[in-house]
Amino acid sequence: MTESYNNSRKFRTALQSELPLWIEQGLVSEEAASRLQTTYQLSNLKEESSRLLSSVIFAIGGLLLGGGLISFVAANWEEISDPVKLTLLFAALVGLHSVGYWLWHSRGWQRLGEALIFCGCLLFGANIGLVAQIYQIQGDSYGAFGAWTLGSLAMAWAIRSWTIGLLALFTSFIWFVGFHEDSHERASLIYPMALTALFVPLAWKAGSRILYAATAICIVAAASVLAGEARSEAQLLLGMSSGGLLLWTAGELHRLSGMRREFANATTALGLGLLALTAYIWSFRDLWGSSETTRVPSLWALVFLALSVAGSVWLLRKASGHERGLNIGVLTVGATLSISAILAISAVGARKLPFVIMTNLAAIILAGIVIRMSLFREQRALFWLGSLYVVLLILSRFLEYEASLLLRSLAFLACGVAVILAGVRYEQYRRRQAANGREAGA
Amino acid sequence: MTKRMALAAFAGAVIVQLVILTAVPARKAITRSTGRTVVLKVQPVGPYNSLSGYYVMLSLEISRRDAFGSVPDFSDGEECFAVIERGEDGIWKPVSLERARPSGLPENRAVVAGRVEHGQLRYGIENFYIPEAQRSAIAEDLRTNRDRAKVEAKVDSAGNAALVKLMIEDRVYQ
Repeated sequence: MTESYNNSRKFRTALQSELPLWIEQGLVSEEAASRLQTTYQLSNLKEESSRLLSSVIFAIGGLLLGGGLISFVAANWEEISDPVKLTLLFAALVGLHSVGYWLWHSRGWQRLGEALIFCGCLLFGANIGLVAQIYQIQGDSYGAFGAWTLGSLAMAWAIRSWTIGLLALFTSFIWFVGFHEDSHERASLIYPMALTALFVPLAWKAGSRILYAATAICIVAAASVLAGEARSEAQLLLGMSSGGLLLWTAGELHRLSGMRREFANATTALGLGLLALTAYIWSFRDLWGSSETTRVPSLWALVFLALSVAGSVWLLRKASGHERGLNIGVLTVGATLSISAILAISAVGARKLPFVIMTNLAAIILAGIVIRMSLFREQRALFWLGSLYVVLLILSRFLEYEASLLLRSLAFLACGVAVILAGVRYEQYRRRQAANGREAGA
Repeated sequence: MTKRMALAAFAGAVIVQLVILTAVPARKAITRSTGRTVVLKVQPVGPYNSLSGYYVMLSLEISRRDAFGSVPDFSDGEECFAVIERGEDGIWKPVSLERARPSGLPENRAVVAGRVEHGQLRYGIENFYIPEAQRSAIAEDLRTNRDRAKVEAKVDSAGNAALVKLMIEDRVYQ
């Protein structure tokens, strides 16, 4: 297994505050502390913090400026002739971009420069609308979002900007929904592939977790829209479960391979969240048993499954101990949900009960995985999330199936007591672990 | 990336945006500058387009199949060509609806190319954008003079149409 350093700001800040004490108490030598300083780039922390703050401020300023410009454009001025109007808009676009680039590259004000170029991309979108208005261009407005995407994406790639990439991703998704709704089901199949080819490498190059996670969400959401177009719940289930499994696998690949390790947490969290949501929704019996209009599973769901299996094979070979068990568990959950969907699509079983049992089982296994994960990754939040998910499942079943009020109240009480007991046991476990750690240290 | 390459990439992206902005209205601009003027009778109705402000949906006389007399069966998405003729009042009236673009028409006739969409005849000139400052004036004018509205459009030799102005009696909006 390839190990890589934990470069999170939280850890590095804690390390920086602890280091002087460690040196003073002789836990580490001056030389080792210096090596740690260099390895974790602790001297950059202050600058990174101010960079983050300035980027947030500039982004907000940029959004406000962009909003003002769009409103100005939308309130189209009647007195000015069309050619002059167009010239002004073109000049404003080129001006904003040029000033932004000049501030960035000649003055070294990267954040401000990028914010102005971002504004330029907002203005570009507004200009498309205004040009369409001036020339009385007809047609569906998703076409305008398509054009906006192309221009913004070109700029995002040119300056490796994740914020402009996010804008292009957002407009592209609006285009996709409109294009797909406008009877282009076959042509829109290419959209998830286009996202993978154009936005994933951009997020990679820009080193942006946000753009990477947003792209992953859009890919899975688009595949789910495509899967669910047959008005089939089972196809949608397959799209969501295979998407969740793929996200988990991708996140674990980042973690274990060390490649862009900073993408790992967000991607695995998205994968687990999607699997949990899917298992919960389809744990209700009413979603099962409808007649399917098509017997062929969705193309993208099958691609996701194939990629997940390929990735899992690699993961299971590389992972060991807890990690291996965790991956087997999530793979089991994803496979259970996906196989249930495929069986429902191919109408192997018209009965609801086996599917309801399978999805509830998958949900319970998933909760167990999250709780187990909380123990060996020492993340208390995961423990509570897993426990609350179990409680949600149990209470949902009690509310779903007819039961007397007395029985329901007993279920609520039992769940409450169980959560408190589990919490107490968890805290005791954490204390024992901490005590063992201290003894080993002594 | 070197400084020169970064500048080239940035300039390329700006050019892409300018090309898109030029390409979006190109066809309509060519039709407007090369086409011949026709005036069509309309009856407006209409909702709201978020990206381009308010507009009215114009129900053109040539959008009604029954205005052409006998019409062949068109399937959804199929191209159609409306032959129109200039009337004595200056308004162009529907004559026939064809599958193929007719040629050799007399001077007082023209062709508008369209498409059948969801059973409706569409020519790409059905929406008229209302300018912000004239919004309430036009809305009131349309409400009180519903059957006296007409549009001026340009039609090029291929039958492509571009909307130019909306006219209600002697008032002109563009």
